[in-house]
Amino acid sequence: MTTSCSNYMSIDDIISTNERIPCKFQVQVQRLGFLDSSSDTDHIQPNTKLELPFWLATALCNRRRHIVAVDMPKQYKEGYREILTADANVVDLHKLGPYYYTFGSHLLCFELPETPDIAKSLLQTFQSRLRKIMDASQNAYYEDTTNLTAKLDEMERDLFKCGQQGLRDFQRWETRASEQLKTSEMVINHRKRKRAVMEETS
Amino acid sequence: MSMDPAEVEFLAEKTMVTVVPNFNQDKIYLIGGEIGPFSPSLPVDVPLWMALNLKQRQKCRIQPPEWMDVEALEEVKQKETDDKFFTAMPSNHYMEITQLLMKYAPEDIPRADQIRTLIKDIWDLRNAKLRSSIDVFVRSDVTHAKLNHLTPMEINTARPFLTRALDQMHMLRTNTQTGLKQTQE
Amino acid sequence: MFGEKALELIKELQRCLDGSLPPFNEEGVRQVLEEMKALFEQNQGDVSATVAGETGLFAGVQLRHAALERNKRCLLAYLYNRIQQIKKMRWEFGSVLPQDIRYNLSEQEVQWFNRYNKCLANYMRSIGEDGGLDLTQDIKPPKTLYIEVRCTTDHGEFETQDGNVLVLKKNSQHFLLRSECEHLIRQGILEHIVH
Repeated sequence: MTTSCSNYMSIDDIISTNERIPCKFQVQVQRLGFLDSSSDTDHIQPNTKLELPFWLATALCNRRRHIVAVDMPKQYKEGYREILTADANVVDLHKLGPYYYTFGSHLLCFELPETPDIAKSLLQTFQSRLRKIMDASQNAYYEDTTNLTAKLDEMERDLFKCGQQGLRDFQRWETRASEQLKTSEMVINHRKRKRAVMEETS
Repeated sequence: MSMDPAEVEFLAEKTMVTVVPNFNQDKIYLIGGEIGPFSPSLPVDVPLWMALNLKQRQKCRIQPPEWMDVEALEEVKQKETDDKFFTAMPSNHYMEITQLLMKYAPEDIPRADQIRTLIKDIWDLRNAKLRSSIDVFVRSDVTHAKLNHLTPMEINTARPFLTRALDQMHMLRTNTQTGLKQTQE
Repeated sequence: MFGEKALELIKELQRCLDGSLPPFNEEGVRQVLEEMKALFEQNQGDVSATVAGETGLFAGVQLRHAALERNKRCLLAYLYNRIQQIKKMRWEFGSVLPQDIRYNLSEQEVQWFNRYNKCLANYMRSIGEDGGLDLTQDIKPPKTLYIEVRCTTDHGEFETQDGNVLVLKKNSQHFLLRSECEHLIRQGILEHIVH
């Protein structure tokens, strides 16, 4: 899965680095005015405000370059951090995310004054939500879990799935179902799709 | 990397158990050591996998391990309830051995149903304990914890979730530490 | 914004990670390469202009360069993750892929699959004693030598190791060496019966 030392080939990491950040241009950028759809000038003028994807913002704002200044997205600002401190368990992190932790960790590289507080908030949020994810993944086998997983960010969902898989494997063993050799998952899925295609065309 | 429960069971099948055969057979020489000789009515120690195979072919009766006894297990259960830490199990593979004997040789185990329930209770107790200790560990800011007396099946069931959760926490914790360093600079 | 077409390729893969493989998106890849070519040429132009004395072009060069790197990352990840999926298919479907899946592979991917097949076969032949060791077998610890199976489809004739020929007809039941029929179970031709 994703970590803060981003994994070059990771699909999740690539998608999470596309989340946008409010940026303000510090210098003029020639011939790229078309990136700002709200104006029709040839160049991007200083003080233009644009939401840029993280991958671009980090190339334009770092220790060596200050082509843009970045601001934190609102879901990482103090207001939201306070809500998370009050009761992290009721917050819909998927709505704030969907890669709340991963994207949040990426944002720390901008070294803004509030960076240490964001880092602390991410850790505490995870610490206080883990119990619920763990218990649900171990108990909710027969229940509908969509209500719960809807509010989890992608990393938490991954954890939840992991816990459920463990439980399912154990239960298959307990009922001796694991003694039976099975058709491989890919083959089953492939057949299902083929059947669906055939039904559509007939 | 985590094992499938069936693989943990495979390991458990190496445990020696005592069987009472009903046939004659000289010693057999296997990679894992010598087994036998077998004589009718003379108890002999064999690996669990062999005991189950003989049993399925009606070649023996299996003697349940000493710990597979209602009174003994009630005591184990009581200790597990009273103690805040994990207690030592009478066998490192208590779950798998019970499961296999219950399936293939239930008539050889006295009070099999009670034993089945007791073992399941002990498993559930320990699992709940494991989840609480994971939660306490994650919420505290310590970097390591020591858990004694967990059996391979228990570790294996918790492993995929636990290792991933700890990886994530490590990442988020490292973030706060580099954050601190920056403010000191 | 730059990099959007490249991201589309990645999202297309993300939607299909349950075990299918979407058709190789030749058109999408071509469009990304085109964007990259344009970015590169504009940057080259700006660099020459800077060398000739023009100023103020630096920020634009940086921006385009970041977009180039981003596109490159998406393309590489697209190819890499597809290959990973194809590799997994070798273990799930066996050495011959179903026609409709093969059809979704690019020519280079078909080549890659064939070479991977060959490497794996050579390796498996080289390990273990005479005859090698089939690593795709005994995915789970075997319990018995022989197992009972039922045919789910008319598969035709099947020759066992001891030279007998069986006809695998739909719904027929057989008692076979586990090692001989495990592949057929994994491919859904036989069904393992347990009591």
